Amino acid sequence: MIEKFGWLLDVYEDVRNGVAVWFLEQGGRRCRLHQPFPVTFYASGSESHLHRLTDYLASQPVPLRLSQAEKRDVFTNQVLPFLAVEVLSPSQQPALFRQVCRRFPALTYGDADLPISLRYAAATGAFPLAYCRIVIDGSQRIFQIEPLESCWALNPSHPPLRVISLEPDADPGHTQPRFLVVRAGTRIFHLPLPGRHGSERPFLINLRALLQHYDPDLLLTTWGDTWLMPLLLEWSAILPLPLNRDDYSDVIRRKERIYFSYGQTVFRGQQVHLFGRWHIDRCNAMLWDDYDLHGVLEVARVTALPVQVAARVSPGTGISSIQMLTALRQGVIVPWQKQQAEHLRPAEDLFAADQGGLVYQPLVGLHHDVAEIDFVSMYPAIMVNFNISPETIQPPDLRLPPVPGLTFPVDQERRGLVPEALAPVLQKRIMLKTKLAAMRSSDPRRKSYHRRATALKWLLVTCFGYLGYKNARFGRIEAHQAVTAYGREALVRAKETAEEMGFEVLHLYVDGMWVRKAGCATREAFSDLLQEINQRTGLPISLDGIYRWVAFLPSRMDDRRPVASRYFGVFQDDSIKVRGIEARRRDTPPFIAETQKELLELLAASPDPFAALPRALQRLRQRLDELSSRRVAVERLVVGQKLTRSVEAYRSPSPAARAAHQLQQAGKIVRPGQRIRFLFTYGEPGVYAWDLPDPLDISLIDIRRYRTLLLRAASVVLQPFGCDEAYLLKWQNGGASEIALPGKLLERYLRIRPGAASGAGFLNG
Amino acid sequence: MGRTLPSITQAYYQELESFSRFRRALRRSDQLVLDDLLTSAQKHLAAAAFAAHAAPFEIFLLAMLLEEHKEVMRLRELLYGEKFASSGQVNADD
Repeated sequence: MIEKFGWLLDVYEDVRNGVAVWFLEQGGRRCRLHQPFPVTFYASGSESHLHRLTDYLASQPVPLRLSQAEKRDVFTNQVLPFLAVEVLSPSQQPALFRQVCRRFPALTYGDADLPISLRYAAATGAFPLAYCRIVIDGSQRIFQIEPLESCWALNPSHPPLRVISLEPDADPGHTQPRFLVVRAGTRIFHLPLPGRHGSERPFLINLRALLQHYDPDLLLTTWGDTWLMPLLLEWSAILPLPLNRDDYSDVIRRKERIYFSYGQTVFRGQQVHLFGRWHIDRCNAMLWDDYDLHGVLEVARVTALPVQVAARVSPGTGISSIQMLTALRQGVIVPWQKQQAEHLRPAEDLFAADQGGLVYQPLVGLHHDVAEIDFVSMYPAIMVNFNISPETIQPPDLRLPPVPGLTFPVDQERRGLVPEALAPVLQKRIMLKTKLAAMRSSDPRRKSYHRRATALKWLLVTCFGYLGYKNARFGRIEAHQAVTAYGREALVRAKETAEEMGFEVLHLYVDGMWVRKAGCATREAFSDLLQEINQRTGLPISLDGIYRWVAFLPSRMDDRRPVASRYFGVFQDDSIKVRGIEARRRDTPPFIAETQKELLELLAASPDPFAALPRALQRLRQRLDELSSRRVAVERLVVGQKLTRSVEAYRSPSPAARAAHQLQQAGKIVRPGQRIRFLFTYGEPGVYAWDLPDPLDISLIDIRRYRTLLLRAASVVLQPFGCDEAYLLKWQNGGASEIALPGKLLERYLRIRPGAASGAGFLNG
Repeated sequence: MGRTLPSITQAYYQELESFSRFRRALRRSDQLVLDDLLTSAQKHLAAAAFAAHAAPFEIFLLAMLLEEHKEVMRLRELLYGEKFASSGQVNADD
């Protein structure tokens, strides 16, 4: 027997038997170990059905053991008898279970379709990237594995991973790349890709040499899932490449998917998973811009999902995994298909319950010295603090205090599974955020802490959604409704508290509140308010920041109507926050988004934003001139809009659909949910798809349209200072010299800042 | 998304829709006044949602009345000064 220390990289079903475990030894050696690991699923139902199942299983060639077992059902909180089916080789379990449930649909199944890494983590405590002590024999069989750190550790040990990054020199969707840029440590190689008629061999020989020399743990690619890996797999017929480290398993491809989620059509490209090393495609990874590799590894640690999976699944799958892991550890059965109906309730309950968070209409206009106060991870905190879980929801009972505004109570006696699963995630995120707040801006750990906190935030955010998702194993609509009901109550209590303490409430949005009070402009001035709200709601609340000024915008269609989520402002530390305006939208051409940001920065840089208005207008004039004289790089005018359905399904095609049609005609495949990049052009069809093979004649670009878009974007940020779209339209034709103030501006300005008019020199000009 | 009942904003627009024939038959000048009145209810959609009333139009009416009364109070204040803004404090002799 040999004892070793190192990190667990991956666990998966071994095609031969048990599980394959990849281990990175302390000394740097990577080894493939194996371990017998039988897996069990459970069935319950009528005796006759179970007898028939037993007979059927006995006739199967799969080695298994049957026994009686007792497991706790989370919904009834009762320990129920089950038939336990222990399959000795985990790789055979999924196929066997598929047959069983097809033949015996009347039975109820549990622990039936769990990822092997979850079962392994529940049984051994070892999760991906955990630092472990293992005991193995000469045949590399694991006898003992013991994690030496917790997945909730704030500063986990870091395995010395070897990473190779593979990136083409151009977007393959747009043009044919000429090189593959390979980054290994500090070295960069440019491997020429074979041209249309060239041979692949020289390229493959070079790439193979690099893979063999560096033997990476992670292949981090750009367009790897959708372009590079399929290409390399095809070329492997010419010269085999060591993409996999495991000789016993083949690379697997998962098909592309299109689904509808939160009102959006989402396209997920095909996936290529490796064995023995990981492949992550930056372009196909979930929330890569937010997470980065730090976030992906954090998700893998806390969810126990394999790294390649953690990189690609939605946070919903992540949180679901944490819940299943909690259930497995507690001996609670994980239902295969949930069979849970709502309790009977009075119809009027639906009016009160079927609502989301409270969204107010803000007081439109410019406001100074405004504090933004947010409940910290409000919904997860509610679930944890008020013990909200599918099984803790009780039928209406007059003896117990109901959820605020609803008729049913929540059992506070027994700890719910969802709060139990969620509490450590919430706690870890709060601790990371607390540490971050205390860190110097030069601290090298900042980026990692920030990314990890973001990854945990996404897990927490989706946890609430999953509570109301009908297919979620631990979901229940009443639990979902209870969370929003507590949320609405907390927000109204916060409003009442603020008003009682003399603050003016400018806006309320689900878990945030914007307040001000004459003379309150420091953090200390708001601390009593925070403390009081915390006391009255039982929920943690924090001061997000104090705006020097913030502007809430009206609707574009009707300026009498306020819009809840369109605002921008400048904090006391000069940072800018924008929501719902062009600069933050992903479909805005970069040139327009950047100009809007630029104007905001100019306003933010001045102690009095009104004084910066002439400079902002001057800059806008400059940008308009650049546009008119076609001095803006074409790629900065590209619009990127999502295709919401297939091209044929559009009755009156949107610009994105017209561009997609052009791509289709050029032989390219487009799918709903894909972002289509295009330029506005003169004439019909008014657009030109950016990814068409032939370059665009730039004289066709519809400059007038871009001018209109630019002026509209500028008016959004200048409007609170009196320069609305109508004013800017007049101004653009009138020349830069006369910045006459609209009467409304002067009136508003004097009302907001009495006595300030004399300080603004341009007012007289 | 995932809702059984329409959200308060949807309910508001449904109510507007139900008045479309009435609005159509009004004179243009009255249409504009009606639009203004109905828009004023929109400022209190969050409170209307929180009220969770089975017949939300009653709440919308109350919201319109509230905005109207705010305007009355503002005008009274302009005419008679702050302490006479509330109703019942102004009599014919003032």
